[in-house]
Amino acid sequence: MIPRSESPTGRIAAVARKEIVDIFRDRRTMLVTLVTAIVAGPVLMLLVLNLIARQSDKVRELVLPVVGIERAPALQAFLERQQLTLKPAPKDFEAGIRSGEVDVVLEVDAGFADDVAQGRPGTVRLAYDRSRDRARAAIAEVEALLRAFNREWGRGRLLLRGIAPEVANPLNVESRDLATPQSSGALVLFLIAFYGLFASVMGGMAAALDTTAGERERMSLEPLLNTPVGPLELATGKWLAVSLLNATAVVLTLTGFYLALRFAPLPAVGIPFLFGPAEFGRFIVTLLPLILLMPAILLYVGCRGRTFKEAQSNLSVLLFAISLLPIIQMFLQRKDPAWLTWIPVSGQYALLSRALRGEALPWADLLQSYVVPALLTLVALSAVARLFSRESLLVGR
Amino acid sequence: MIVVDNLVKAFGRHHEVHAVDGVAFTAPDRSITGLLGPNGAGKTTLLRMLSTLVIPDRGSASIDGHDVVRERYSVRRRIGVLSDARGLYPRLTARENIRYYGALQGLAADALETRIDELIGALGIAAIADRRTQGFSQGERMKVAIARALVHDPQTILLDEPTNGLDIMSTRSLRSLLRDLRSSGKCLLFSSHVMQEVTALCDSIVILGHGKVLATGTAAELVAQSGESVLEDAFVRLLGSGEGLAA
Repeated sequence: MIPRSESPTGRIAAVARKEIVDIFRDRRTMLVTLVTAIVAGPVLMLLVLNLIARQSDKVRELVLPVVGIERAPALQAFLERQQLTLKPAPKDFEAGIRSGEVDVVLEVDAGFADDVAQGRPGTVRLAYDRSRDRARAAIAEVEALLRAFNREWGRGRLLLRGIAPEVANPLNVESRDLATPQSSGALVLFLIAFYGLFASVMGGMAAALDTTAGERERMSLEPLLNTPVGPLELATGKWLAVSLLNATAVVLTLTGFYLALRFAPLPAVGIPFLFGPAEFGRFIVTLLPLILLMPAILLYVGCRGRTFKEAQSNLSVLLFAISLLPIIQMFLQRKDPAWLTWIPVSGQYALLSRALRGEALPWADLLQSYVVPALLTLVALSAVARLFSRESLLVGR
Repeated sequence: MIVVDNLVKAFGRHHEVHAVDGVAFTAPDRSITGLLGPNGAGKTTLLRMLSTLVIPDRGSASIDGHDVVRERYSVRRRIGVLSDARGLYPRLTARENIRYYGALQGLAADALETRIDELIGALGIAAIADRRTQGFSQGERMKVAIARALVHDPQTILLDEPTNGLDIMSTRSLRSLLRDLRSSGKCLLFSSHVMQEVTALCDSIVILGHGKVLATGTAAELVAQSGESVLEDAFVRLLGSGEGLAA
């Protein structure tokens, strides 16, 4: 007689071990899960950051193509004093603007000197294409400089006539920008939170389907159920394996962001938002309930599918709904209501945003966000176990 | 030993499909019992009830005295099943496939490895043992599936149409394996719709038709009972029609 143990934990461990080997040998799943996790997010973020940087660089190092600037020497001197580099515009500058090569061109009217000499307003023209996002900053900058020049010139004339310039400027506008450095890079912040969530929701998908619907499709479920492994043991073992993969995907995604923010030659965008080791840890702690909940739900959906394909199409609806939540939240923009922390995905997203804004994560809020996912995990796992013990699972109905 | 007593199982919304309808027989140790019947006779459902996956509506069955409903987990520890579904894990090697089932049966690591080597030797699959099972031939798959069904050295072995899709060489080696198991004292129950298969191998035969036992006995007894001279004619006569003739 061969010596045997009857320990349920031994069987759960056997299932988990086998599934982990199986998952990590599935090259397609690993490629999709891990490459998208570690590469896609950071690459997207770098693109966004570079776009932001290019916009702000444009303002700083503005080269302004000009036509006939020698007709307005005072304006030329003023603009050069403002660190603008002036250069003659090409002849066909309108085509250049249309094609996006040139952002904005300043043209001084041929009759400018005469008009000014006779006390009439001198005419300058700005040519630009306002529909181009990239050009907007440059346009605004040049417009603001022209307004400033206009004001300065007017002040001089009023002073010459013995009138205080304030007479012509009854309104004094002062603006205060209350954005902190962390709260400004909102888009980048959203990207990191969204990708972290995305990884914890999607990380285990392919593996969960393969180990349930795939098991049915391969006809390996019936022989498996002929062994002494109980349905709940089977569900638990598979869940542990998929959760491990899911956690790996989340850690890799966040590592990708961390490395990109730390070591990539990032442009100086002026948004030194926080994503250091502390935030990394807060992210993991916040995402933990989802990392454990999603595999259970994915296993349940997978079990209901007779084939991988069928399970996949059932899943897409669920995933669409889930991925919509944070986007809706982002567009709501108002302060998050307190009950939001209770809701899976939404709660995690709210906490992630707070962590990124540099706020502390109170334990009470964190625990609150654990309650519902923990309960749902248990419900989903026992539902998976119930499916495994159903006769109809074998007959294919 | 398998004791089946008046098992009944019906499927369908109103239980209108009587898959197994009052089946009773006994399969002793040190013996190969054949379940012979045309497609749809209820062989697979009967075997699934014995292997505890399907719960009977009425009646009872036991394996070495363990009830298949009340003591399903002790039954699962005592039986080896080669079911109709014999999917392997394509990304695991043959050895890993077998090892997984051994671990689920609770075999300790050392004993398990010894046992796996023993089975690999007996089945003659040493050359493919450490290859992933993706791309294995039908015969190779069947051998791995048998090895994992036998990994815990079960006393009772249930086989559902084991020779389906096998070539002559594989069929012959399977037969000699089953005979070896019989001489070591095992109880084997094996279903087939192939007459020659059953006459070549079985000590006693249970003929199933429409979920009922039509006759039991050795091949010679069945021929005598029916008044025909060949088992095939006896089989057709017992079924009461020409349906489901053996391939």
